[in-house]
Amino acid sequence: MGPLSKLVNLYRLLSNVNNQTKHLPFTTIARNVSTTKPNYDLMEFFDDPKNWGSNEVKSGRSWQKDEMRLKSNEDLHKLWYILLKERNMLLTMEEEAKNETMLFPSPERLDKVEESMENLEAVVRERNKAYYELETGETGERPGRVETGPFGLKFYYKMREYKVPKHMNKKWQETHQFYKHDKDVEAFLLKYGEKKFLSKRRQYKRDFNHVIGLLKRFPNMDMEALKQQYPDVDIEKAKNNHKCRGHFVPK
Amino acid sequence: MRISNILFSRIGKWSKQYANLPDRYIKRSMEQVYWRNPKGINYRANAVIQRKKFYFSVHRPWTAEFRNDNAPGVYRPKVFVEPVKEWNFFCGDRVEVLVGKDKGKQGIVKHIFEERNWVIVDGLNCKLKQMGADKKREFEGIWMQEEQPLLITNEVALVDPSDLAPTTVEWRLTEAGERVRVSIRTGRIIPMPATASQTIDYKSKSTYKEQPKDTEGSVVTEVTFKPKLCTFEMDLMDKMGIKEDRIPPKSYWY
Repeated sequence: MGPLSKLVNLYRLLSNVNNQTKHLPFTTIARNVSTTKPNYDLMEFFDDPKNWGSNEVKSGRSWQKDEMRLKSNEDLHKLWYILLKERNMLLTMEEEAKNETMLFPSPERLDKVEESMENLEAVVRERNKAYYELETGETGERPGRVETGPFGLKFYYKMREYKVPKHMNKKWQETHQFYKHDKDVEAFLLKYGEKKFLSKRRQYKRDFNHVIGLLKRFPNMDMEALKQQYPDVDIEKAKNNHKCRGHFVPK
Repeated sequence: MRISNILFSRIGKWSKQYANLPDRYIKRSMEQVYWRNPKGINYRANAVIQRKKFYFSVHRPWTAEFRNDNAPGVYRPKVFVEPVKEWNFFCGDRVEVLVGKDKGKQGIVKHIFEERNWVIVDGLNCKLKQMGADKKREFEGIWMQEEQPLLITNEVALVDPSDLAPTTVEWRLTEAGERVRVSIRTGRIIPMPATASQTIDYKSKSTYKEQPKDTEGSVVTEVTFKPKLCTFEMDLMDKMGIKEDRIPPKSYWY
């Protein structure tokens, strides 16, 4: 398609916006799930004027996975766009509130919408995975593997699809560095391991001292609850510590 | 376990239930991130430096008051909170105060603060608080009564409904398999108050007022899913009449 024909198409698209709205496929469905009226103009990026400047906009909870599992693929597809529009609207309102130095009411709405979108994606993935596992014996998900990075630390490498094989892809070879044996890296890893070990030991010591503090303050404490909260700490050892004793003469 | 998750786990289950907020919002609103590692080749990818020590009080972690209490650079002395195996006190419970000037009086639990093992009993254990005092105008302000929190471990006790005396409780299973609180002294069940499940948005689930953007319950529970041997994309393309018979060129995954 040449640039001129693209422009002509764009012009047609823009001039036909009002006519097209009548034939948009999701008018009926949108009403099925959400009661907001579609306007098909830029004001759809903004909240209902009633909510402008309000302190709170109440909303229900997010969609759960179990509820989405009941819905057909078509419904999920529609729901995705409803959620996407809502998210766009909320992000616009957040930005607008920031620009106007005003309060963005009920910011938890954004989290509710995003949580619903995550759940929806998970359900769609679940369905696709079931199909691919049945038909091909593979998950059909984006493949990946655990790799060792240039600093000798392991990470999960997500593979990508390329037109040319690895040995021909110079740019990939430059940007993707993995571990090769290196004396300096070995020395670094040794020190890094030591650092991790020390921080772990410090954490244990901190917990141990905290348990001593608890035992000192609450001698009649529920020991099972203590054990549950601090499973790694040796409570018998902590009890024998001299710091555990309260400020009184033992009988 | 990540640091943020550890912090988050300190917020009590019932505090979250009362707030009726998504977990990720609570996490987002309370975290104070000082540094996040940029993307790229880092020896520690996704490393975050953030505040680890928070001071919990009667202000909920997602409020401005909490942020004020825990302003960047403000640290308070460490508070030792006695570990409790199971939370027994709920909003609407009748409890007896065991200490202070209201010792022996019974009242109804108004708020619970699991992070500190606190409950606030309606109208009991009050302190006078001076508000709006102005020395210039010689106005002494107004005095308000404010309920002070009580520790659940030794300052309040649940009241047995059979003899209206304080008692210790235990969680047991009924024959129907329901978990209930049972008074150890008399063996009577202490019923769960109706207000236990209330949130800041509604008193009970049945009295919830639908908001304009809520999806109706009947629409949510309606089953439209029909099992079919195809993927999500294949199904949609089929429904929309999109035909795709091009053969993709050879590609390499690495």
